[in-house]
Amino acid sequence: MSKRNVSRRQFLNYTLTGVGGFMAAGILMPMVRFAIDPVLKASASGGFIATSQKVSELTAEPIRVDYTFDQIDGWYESQVTNTAWVYKADDGNIVALSPVCKHLGCTVAWNTDKEHPEQFFCPCHMGRYEKSGVNVPGTPPSKPLDVYETQVKDGILYLGLLKPHKGA
Amino acid sequence: MKWTYKEIGMYQESKEYVDSLIIPMNPISFGAQMKQFSSMHEFMGILMMEVEKQLKGRLLLMPGLTYWSEGQERADLIEIWKLKLLEADFKHVFWITSDSEWKKYEEQLPGSLLWIPSIPLEHLEEGQARQMMNDQVRQMLDMLTQSWNK
Ligand code: FES
Repeated sequence: MSKRNVSRRQFLNYTLTGVGGFMAAGILMPMVRFAIDPVLKASASGGFIATSQKVSELTAEPIRVDYTFDQIDGWYESQVTNTAWVYKADDGNIVALSPVCKHLGCTVAWNTDKEHPEQFFCPCHMGRYEKSGVNVPGTPPSKPLDVYETQVKDGILYLGLLKPHKGA
Repeated sequence: MKWTYKEIGMYQESKEYVDSLIIPMNPISFGAQMKQFSSMHEFMGILMMEVEKQLKGRLLLMPGLTYWSEGQERADLIEIWKLKLLEADFKHVFWITSDSEWKKYEEQLPGSLLWIPSIPLEHLEEGQARQMMNDQVRQMLDMLTQSWNK
């Protein structure tokens, strides 16, 4: 197995941005995950959570849309950022897919497998899905990606509950 | 998958798909480095949480391995882990740390050592801190998926 440092480039970055002595300093981390940009902050409305995505900017090409909300998970309350893959379908409807692979839960991405362009690809066991979210037979996932309910308010995209894909 | 009752159950059911073990290593001390180590620990926690979320289905994330920065033999730690790893069946083992001491032991460690400097977030604006964290996560994911594809 190869031995590598993640860090060389990063190290240079720090030095160049004038942040000296980074190993020595006392460091204060932001509260939970990457401290939350107010723009992304979720404002819940009837179960729907606002994203920062303008609907007018959506095209037929799936893009990542992040949204943030407070999650109470057993003992902890924390701020969670999730992602959806969002695009405009041919019929003009907005499609928002969950990025969570239906095989074992890795995060899928759009168009990252050179041999199979225009598909969602899971790096863990080469799972693949069509743009519609339907799983490609012969790859590990046995179900299509889940689909978010969507709403548009003031030109902004809101995401609701996750539902099983209709093609399932 | 995480070291929780539920996810270990998931691991046991789908072992053949989980070929990678991730071991975050965090030094501790009551001395001068106490503050620095606590921040490393926090940084590592955030990084690991995100990496696990992205690649959940193929890796098992161990609880952080915590050790005394001084007065505890690293070579002993390595020996124990070498033995224990024989009991499990991981094709890839990744040791992840911000503690540069481990570089001296790189050859002895069974698997790959990934050394990552902790990010000095107190010097950074919020947006910049998040950006750097995202970059670290991205790099880490690239490295893991690259070693899978080899
Ligand atoms: S977790 Fe996506 S293919 Fe296995």
